[in-house]
Amino acid sequence: MDFALSNEQRDWQITARKFADEEIRPISLARDAIPTARETFDWEIVKKGSKLGFRTLAVPKEYGGHGTDFVTQALVMAELARADSAISKTFSQNWKWSHLISHACTDEQKDRFLRPFVADDTFLLGKGISEPSAGSDNRLPPADDPKAGLKLRAERKGDEWILNGEKCFIANAPVGKLFFIDARTDPSAPLKQGTTMFLVPRDTPGFRIGKVFNKSGWRFYQNGEMIFENARVPHANVVGQINGATRKAGGGGDDTTGGDIFGDLELCANALGICDDACQVAMRHARAVKQGGRYLFEQQIVQLQINKMYMLTEALRSFVLRVAWEHDMKVRSCNAGLAMNFSTDVVQQVTELYMDVRGVEGCVMDHHSDKLVRDSFIWSHLAGDTVQRMKVARRLS
Amino acid sequence: MAENKNRYSGNVKVQGSIMYNLHLTAEQLEIRDMVRDFVTHELKPVVLKADRLDVGDRSLPMALLDKASQLGLRTLSLAEDHGGAGADQLTCCTVTEELAAGDAGIAATFAETSRLAKILFGGAMTDAQHARFLPLFAENDRCHLALANHEPGNDESLGVNYHRPVPAADDIKTVAARSDDGGWIVNGVKDCVANAPVAGLIAVAAKIPGQADAGILVIQTDTPGLSVRAHEGAWHHGPCGEVTFKNCRVPAANLLGGETAELLAADERSGRGNALMQAVNLGIGRAAYEAAIDYAKLRVQGGRPIAEHQAIGTKLADIAVKLEVARAAVWRAAWACDHPEAYADRSLSDLPLQTIAQVFTRQAMLEAAKDAAEVFGAMGVMRDIPMQKYAHDARVSLHGSDSNREAKLRIAEALLGYRRPALAIAAE
Repeated sequence: MDFALSNEQRDWQITARKFADEEIRPISLARDAIPTARETFDWEIVKKGSKLGFRTLAVPKEYGGHGTDFVTQALVMAELARADSAISKTFSQNWKWSHLISHACTDEQKDRFLRPFVADDTFLLGKGISEPSAGSDNRLPPADDPKAGLKLRAERKGDEWILNGEKCFIANAPVGKLFFIDARTDPSAPLKQGTTMFLVPRDTPGFRIGKVFNKSGWRFYQNGEMIFENARVPHANVVGQINGATRKAGGGGDDTTGGDIFGDLELCANALGICDDACQVAMRHARAVKQGGRYLFEQQIVQLQINKMYMLTEALRSFVLRVAWEHDMKVRSCNAGLAMNFSTDVVQQVTELYMDVRGVEGCVMDHHSDKLVRDSFIWSHLAGDTVQRMKVARRLS
Repeated sequence: MAENKNRYSGNVKVQGSIMYNLHLTAEQLEIRDMVRDFVTHELKPVVLKADRLDVGDRSLPMALLDKASQLGLRTLSLAEDHGGAGADQLTCCTVTEELAAGDAGIAATFAETSRLAKILFGGAMTDAQHARFLPLFAENDRCHLALANHEPGNDESLGVNYHRPVPAADDIKTVAARSDDGGWIVNGVKDCVANAPVAGLIAVAAKIPGQADAGILVIQTDTPGLSVRAHEGAWHHGPCGEVTFKNCRVPAANLLGGETAELLAADERSGRGNALMQAVNLGIGRAAYEAAIDYAKLRVQGGRPIAEHQAIGTKLADIAVKLEVARAAVWRAAWACDHPEAYADRSLSDLPLQTIAQVFTRQAMLEAAKDAAEVFGAMGVMRDIPMQKYAHDARVSLHGSDSNREAKLRIAEALLGYRRPALAIAAE
């Protein structure tokens, strides 16, 4: 066993830490405090991060990206999230879908989409799956209800597909330039047999973005509605097989990882960053603030709380890096899903302990601890946390 | 302390049985249902509008506060012959839970006013003071009460002083000095004062030069020299704020009797305020639970309403378990406030039942609110649905005042029978 990082991995980690400390942290709380969901976003930080490679980290070198391994990606996500979880997610969301482009798209599509993505610092990616009446049904389609799941309809007309319907909660929708869209191409077939994936550019006629969701956590991260009214998508934008959306990424099974399973690593690595931040600030606070004339840290009960925070965080770090390593080694397992489930529990426990260590000053709660608790709350709501747990159990079986 | 309790209970109209009895009286049920009706039909439609859900900006709907006052909620525990309902603590807790199921902040505001009314008008005032202040309070729906007893930077937590004598601290800096005309000139600052922004009368603790003990003065908030600044975004249920006294001239007759400080301290020790806060907390958890149940019955995924899936069904069951156990603890704590004789004859353990209920309820209601939010899937994190307000409010309950860490230290001292020396060692 060898836990040492390579020089390249360490370089990326240090670059990310520096960018996080110098550029992200100074804007994090101010962005979080902006009351209007649409206005929390900041293109400057995206451009700065893009120039350092954080937008295109996962694009293969042959297409002008950085072609980093999964361990590097996990390290960078955690470092960025240490300063702001939502800003880290805004960058890594692009990696998820650039993985998918590299694995599932044709060379012609890669030329058409991956190259402009790499060239443009403001080019962000997203994927539309959820719909107002189809959330968990897309993750765990019920055997006894073949009609369940997404309803967005795509019908072929000559060289084009006509899309009608809507998506909701879609990450990067309000700011993205290109989206993968899952649409029903055979409404009589169950979800898995009747869904096709399309590449839909932002300027597609008949496609527009609706409202931006006003979340309590991850405020910087933009989740929006997508509305398709006779949107016209060229046939050349079909990804993979018609009615084959769920067989994307060329792998099936436990892909390692063309897209979706990267999302599991992404969430647990991001959670690790929040935990690192919480541990560091809790320790600093406990050793700087006095109560009754003595440092908070002198209290046994505070030491026990901080111990628990670090213990959980280090356990999560081990799990995250093992999963990243397994992805690099092309090991097929359910560990990514389990690590994601674990990270939900850990990130919420650690941030709540942090809030407890801080407590209110006067009668005001520190903004930073409030933000971390709200950000970590999001984990219970991502793609249906309970559903993800059952899904992993079914994969294990 | 027991004497005072008896004095109040003689006036109680709505009263539980002397035996431990969970059968609410007809009057208790009636008032609970009246408040529930008010919350469902009048309060919720206003306070759950999207623009009022933002945690940073919750202005008080004053017309509804007036209405709640007219229902008698401001004077709920005030004795009957003073114009109140003379409700006992258990009744106050059931009413507070109902009100909090609509809005925690409004419930906390009324609970505080009603609690203070019972103390201030119940034993602290001379007849002349009564005649002056009671009409000001009783006849004005907008006259809430506040107790200004905390000063900026004062740290009252137990913390490092667990099981140790607390070093003497001269913690009251607000001063009431005699003026030439025989009245008082008050100078000082109090903060984290619950109800301050809506109070008509404020009781304030101040040092009186030449006297060892602090005095308690009642001051009308429109007195020149008194200003209130609301704490924006405070982690507190209901409005709270900073009260500044700058050469604030107060009539001599506003100083309450010397026993007032002890009456207030006894009320604090009794845990009455704590039990009310946990009733607020129960209301928050129940509102979250009811919203989750409604949604789980409507929302169809996996071919059936999600309530019919085991994963969601058991989540709802977990919430119900926490609510019921917490309510049992809070009711018992409330009943114990009403029946000190049950401690005396060892029917109840001599542990601080209100603090025990607090530790359990605060943690359980936060978990309940989180679970309830999860039932809503992605919608559960949106600021424009009530669920986020409930989750935030539950966090405020857990972390807004002292922490459960502190509360457990107090329980631990009680378990061991630790008695802190009344006067701490000044020089060591």
